[in-house]
Amino acid sequence: MDFKVDLTNCDREPIHIPGKIQSHGFLVAVNSKTYVISYISKNIEQYVDVIAQDMLGKPITELERYLELADDSTHLTQLLNLAKASKTDDVINPLAINVKGAGYNLILSKSNDELIMEFETTDSDLDLDVQKSIGRSVAEILSGKTLGILLQNAAAEVKKIINYDRVMIYKFNEDGHGEVVAEVKNDDLEPFFGLHYPASDIPKQARELYKINLTRIIADVDSESSPIITYQEGTPLDLTHSALRAVSPIHIQYLKNMGVGSSFSISLIAHGELWGLVACHNYSPRFIDYKARDASKLIGQILSSALEYRQDEEDSEKTTALNEAVNTIADYIKKDTDIAFALIKNKVTIQDVTTADGVALIFDDEINTLGNTPDIDQIKHIVEWLKVNMIDGIYYTYRFPEIFPAAKEYTDVASGIMACMLSKELGEMVIWFKPEQIKSITWAGNPEKPVEEDANGLMQLSPRKSFDSWNQIVKNTSEKWKNDELAAVVKIREDIIYAINRKANEIRLLNERLQVAYEELDTFSYTISHDLRTPLSSIKNYSELLLSTNKSLDDSAKKMIERIIKGTDKMSMLIKEILHYSRVGRTDIELVPINMTALVTEIKREVTAALNVPNLEFTIGDTPVINGDAVMITQVFTNLLNNAVKYSSKSQPARVKIEGKISNGEVVYSVSDNGVGIDVNYYNRVFELFKRMDNAMDYEGTGVGLAIVKRIVERHKGRIWFESKLGVGTIFYVSFKN
Amino acid sequence: MSSPDIFYVEDDEDFAFIMEHAVKEVKDDLSVKIIDNGKDALELLRLLTEAKVKPKLILLDLNLPGLSGLDLVKRIREIAFLKYVPVVFFSTSDNPKDAKASLEFGANAYLTKPSGYLNLVSCVQSLYNFWFTQNLSIN
Repeated sequence: MDFKVDLTNCDREPIHIPGKIQSHGFLVAVNSKTYVISYISKNIEQYVDVIAQDMLGKPITELERYLELADDSTHLTQLLNLAKASKTDDVINPLAINVKGAGYNLILSKSNDELIMEFETTDSDLDLDVQKSIGRSVAEILSGKTLGILLQNAAAEVKKIINYDRVMIYKFNEDGHGEVVAEVKNDDLEPFFGLHYPASDIPKQARELYKINLTRIIADVDSESSPIITYQEGTPLDLTHSALRAVSPIHIQYLKNMGVGSSFSISLIAHGELWGLVACHNYSPRFIDYKARDASKLIGQILSSALEYRQDEEDSEKTTALNEAVNTIADYIKKDTDIAFALIKNKVTIQDVTTADGVALIFDDEINTLGNTPDIDQIKHIVEWLKVNMIDGIYYTYRFPEIFPAAKEYTDVASGIMACMLSKELGEMVIWFKPEQIKSITWAGNPEKPVEEDANGLMQLSPRKSFDSWNQIVKNTSEKWKNDELAAVVKIREDIIYAINRKANEIRLLNERLQVAYEELDTFSYTISHDLRTPLSSIKNYSELLLSTNKSLDDSAKKMIERIIKGTDKMSMLIKEILHYSRVGRTDIELVPINMTALVTEIKREVTAALNVPNLEFTIGDTPVINGDAVMITQVFTNLLNNAVKYSSKSQPARVKIEGKISNGEVVYSVSDNGVGIDVNYYNRVFELFKRMDNAMDYEGTGVGLAIVKRIVERHKGRIWFESKLGVGTIFYVSFKN
Repeated sequence: MSSPDIFYVEDDEDFAFIMEHAVKEVKDDLSVKIIDNGKDALELLRLLTEAKVKPKLILLDLNLPGLSGLDLVKRIREIAFLKYVPVVFFSTSDNPKDAKASLEFGANAYLTKPSGYLNLVSCVQSLYNFWFTQNLSIN
């Protein structure tokens, strides 16, 4: 056999044909047709007075003479016939025989064209009659209510029965790496419980053998294994079913480096797959005989079937827990109108629908996080990436940093992400984060520790060594997202989107109703004021007619009639303005470029003529073009300039200035005066209908002008604001999109 | 049958009353005929046409029962005999759109009803000056 095993190829080492056996027994194989000895272990010479080489090619009866079997009636030929005829080896094994006065268990197995006989001493390190205690142990094991307790019981019972220094239950995870999930040990030993071991520690072909050989003993790591000799060179004996099969040197080294003297393992199989191992370590050589191993195997099988059931049960419990979280949150968002609050502020949060360590909710222009997540800027970066790269509503990966290199900066929180898009346009989503496995798991063998050299200057082979290659594999990866997590996220996404849509719908309906009410109000105020005008003008007309045609009126009556006329004037002014105001809301606007120079000049002429303010310094600066409705824009500037002149009319001199500037795609006009100014307490009411400031009471006005101005500006999608100081003056700004 | 100088269609009897006064104040011997709905107005105008007489000025309110002011001016313009009679709208509305529409339908002018009797008198005075003295040739 030319295969040289080292760490790089141990997954290809043909461990079923090592060409050697462990030395605590000897092996003889015969051709299954001729019963001629075809293979024999060299160490038979230590047990029987024969030269191994001489036995090759001899019939088995020849060897039998040297074995000095105690019982004359026992003949190996008969036993071989029996083995040939039986379907499984288990039925006949072991066969108790005496070789040269010593007790042996003969273990028979088939291997291609050969029948293998393995002679193992009954001289066990275990005195106990194992089979007797099994029944009680099984009852003890199965009393465990949870998987964890079940496993812990099993470890304890196995230790009680076979009495190794340390009994661990080792579970294989989905990606092949293993974890110590239960442990019972002597008090002086360091615990391994909770440690994880890289997948490469138990290579694939070794796992296959664990599925076939449900127990496996390595009696003494320091004993030299014995070669098997044969006359069929080039056809190594397949030791798959052998109990004595020698151990891979690399595994021996591995055990030695852990200080283990002997090991024993029981396979745990669930759903036809290797679920894990009961791994027993002894720190000195230890051999337990076939019967004890067989009894242990029984425990393993019973435990396996219990596992299948309990694991399913616990898996479904986990799924149930996720589902319950989904249902609870779905309930929250049904009841609470604040979706973000419903998702993150209750006892059960959106984080609980997965097993993630952290979650970020990007919603309503806010980022909320729970648990361990990247920082806000990093999350924003991820969101940008997801907006571009997410094709479906849900995206998940357990190796995010490999896909999105920026995430290499924070593998400790986001090696795995699950994202669920709520609105692509708004970039609203939920992102769950899982940390890098290396960080979340306690690995056997300290990854930070440098490679050790032994006394001979050779690199130590240890769990730590295999950790390095494992490290390369799991770097930048998190625990995988499970199907039930995905299902929970799919479900909660539907619920959230439904809630968002429902809320959006409610808002839209409200808006529509508001719009209708708004239009009704406009129509109403238009109609009312229009209908008020006619009788009002009658009052005025008759009063004036009375005054001018009735010569019999005395002065006092004339004065009263004049007051009536004044009253009607005031009222019709008010009505006119309300009509204007409502018209702004009712009329469609048509944007045209307006020659502001002409418009402002005309307004200046009108306003100065109407108000007749002496000492007025009216300045017109730049007047860039505005795109707007000509009538409405005229109203805006008439109102603003009229106010400016009116409220500064008592200043000496009254200074009013209008100018326009273009900046950032906007035309901003300012109208400034040195008038009475606006009290800071009125700032938020300046643009309200019918609101007039205390200091404006001495000036004529209706309180409608600025409300109209604001309405017009807003209908032009422009903005209006002002700066003012009492007694100093006011500057109004209006901006229009260019 | 003779025609009034001013043919005024107005459903608001108060304003009609004031108008009668205002016209008299401008010129005592001007005759005014007031009709309070569009249909009757059109009927009467047809009778006048048959009698080959026509008013010197037609004043119309915008909102009229029976037939609106706009429809009325359109019908008037369809009668060849009245094609060139000046039609002036006299309305409460100061909406430029109303003014624009009335001109499109064939009116010669659009006036917003002035506020008060005194203003009305000045308004009628200017109407009289323009349509009765300066533009005599039209009639």
